[in-house]
Amino acid sequence: MTAKRASATSPTIWTVLKWTVAILAAVIAVFPVWWMINVVFSEPGQPVSINPRLWPTSLTAGLQTVHVIFAETAYLHAYMVSVCYSVLTIAGVLLFGSAAAFEFALFDFPGRRIIFGIVMLALMVPTAVTIIPTYLLTADLGWLNSMQGLVVPGLASAFGLFMLVQFMRAIPADMIEAARLDGASHLQIYWHVVLPLCRNAMVTLAILTFMQTWGNYMWPLLVGTSPDMYTVGQIVGMFNSPLSHQTVEVVMTANLLAAVPPLIFYLLFQRKIVEGIAMSGTKG
Amino acid sequence: MHLRRHLPHYLMIAPFMLLFAIFFLFPILSGFYYSFNDWNAVQPAKFVGLANYQKIIASRDFARSMWNLGTYIVITVPLGILVALGLALLVDNFTGRWAHVFRGAYFLPVVLPSFLAATIWRWIYAPNFGLLNMMLGWFGMPSVNFLNNTGSMIYCLIAVDVWASAGFNMIILLAGLKNIPTELYEAARLDGASKWQQIIHITIPMLGPVLFFVVTYGLISAMQVFDKPWLLTGSSFTTYGGRGNALLFPVMDMMGRGFGAVKFGEAAAYGFLLTLAIVMVTALMFVLRSWSDRR
Repeated sequence: MTAKRASATSPTIWTVLKWTVAILAAVIAVFPVWWMINVVFSEPGQPVSINPRLWPTSLTAGLQTVHVIFAETAYLHAYMVSVCYSVLTIAGVLLFGSAAAFEFALFDFPGRRIIFGIVMLALMVPTAVTIIPTYLLTADLGWLNSMQGLVVPGLASAFGLFMLVQFMRAIPADMIEAARLDGASHLQIYWHVVLPLCRNAMVTLAILTFMQTWGNYMWPLLVGTSPDMYTVGQIVGMFNSPLSHQTVEVVMTANLLAAVPPLIFYLLFQRKIVEGIAMSGTKG
Repeated sequence: MHLRRHLPHYLMIAPFMLLFAIFFLFPILSGFYYSFNDWNAVQPAKFVGLANYQKIIASRDFARSMWNLGTYIVITVPLGILVALGLALLVDNFTGRWAHVFRGAYFLPVVLPSFLAATIWRWIYAPNFGLLNMMLGWFGMPSVNFLNNTGSMIYCLIAVDVWASAGFNMIILLAGLKNIPTELYEAARLDGASKWQQIIHITIPMLGPVLFFVVTYGLISAMQVFDKPWLLTGSSFTTYGGRGNALLFPVMDMMGRGFGAVKFGEAAAYGFLLTLAIVMVTALMFVLRSWSDRR
């Protein structure tokens, strides 16, 4: 592109402006997270006039707060609950979603279009209308304050099905036919032919599901009301509640600990996450 | 036999469809039933007709939350998408490593759980200690309790919202930008079109379908806003909405009626009213699109 070539050779007003805005926007996007880290890793109680928390100043103070939180609160337990909740949800969404998507995308059977259409309609139904009746059903099943109560109602992910069907539609029918002629059973075709081809889509869906489950605040708030079912989101909410009377360093440490898993995932899988979101948006 | 030939297909979709029917279709139907009943989950339900709906529409909290929602949506959806479009155009103007770095930075807030966006910003807004008040202090201005000032609360929420969601829309718009053929820009340049004219006459029209998705999706999720105002105001099921109910939103109001006041029938009816509003807004978007397509 000529504009880009021109800007590479001679800095124009446009180039300067472009860089200024880009850097400023990056600072605004990143700084709150950076500030959280600084508050955690600074001597507690120092007034902002002495330490404005613009960079981390004390590694030991931060680690000390982390230690105190893990030792004196149920944070570690909530971590376990959140990890279980996420892992089980990912496993279920991938397994049930891929099995159903396999059929909807690659085969024809009576009722296929209607059934798939109904599930796709679900993408448009807001959570607001289902959350209270789903809670009441979960309560009726006696699943309040249980792992199955957290996990099972979220397993039939219409979004996950949609994404996998989109992906599986690209698999050539010849491939399925060839496997069939080689004597592969229906289940073998699913497991040994189609799933390996969908590895990318499955990984992307797993990451998106993780982000969503880890960040889910509303459902655990309703279902996990006893302290031994608290998720990280609820613990963070409690640290932040007006009644907690915790110092800012402690609250920010609680926040940071909740941010660590998604941040690590982001650093490792940035491309997959971005592609997954771009795909869900442009194909939707 | 017919059924037998298709049986494997039905068996494979059965687990998903069963879960879907039990935890999605059934709740919608049962919620519809509850919405016509006075019910607190302990005593038997009592049929009350449309009384729940009437009570909600007549209530002050409903009016307040709808007013807040209107104000919030009118600002946050256009602003958020403008910012996202700006960021996408910006990233699109960089190549190689820098495009990657900036895209990565702008997307960072999206990765955080939305409850964290609220809890981090709560402290940025905090009086005395908070980052914003520290910056005001540099200019000799007095400390402001942003989240306790009924005039500024909703703008605090909008800022958090734009911060947390712009990166998401940016990615989708960026994918749309990559699909615009470069020949269009080259032709425009030959005709002497400026950068700004190219954006107005090529980029925006060509982004049409993607923009439509972003706006519609933005509207639908904005109408269900919950985590952020809930946590910014330090809400619980008994006290929510913040000072003067300045951050009371429909889903919060619904949750309060359900789990604070233990009126599940009313809460279910609230869910249907909100859904009706969402469906109407979505339908309006589609009508607007077909109308602009025809023009």
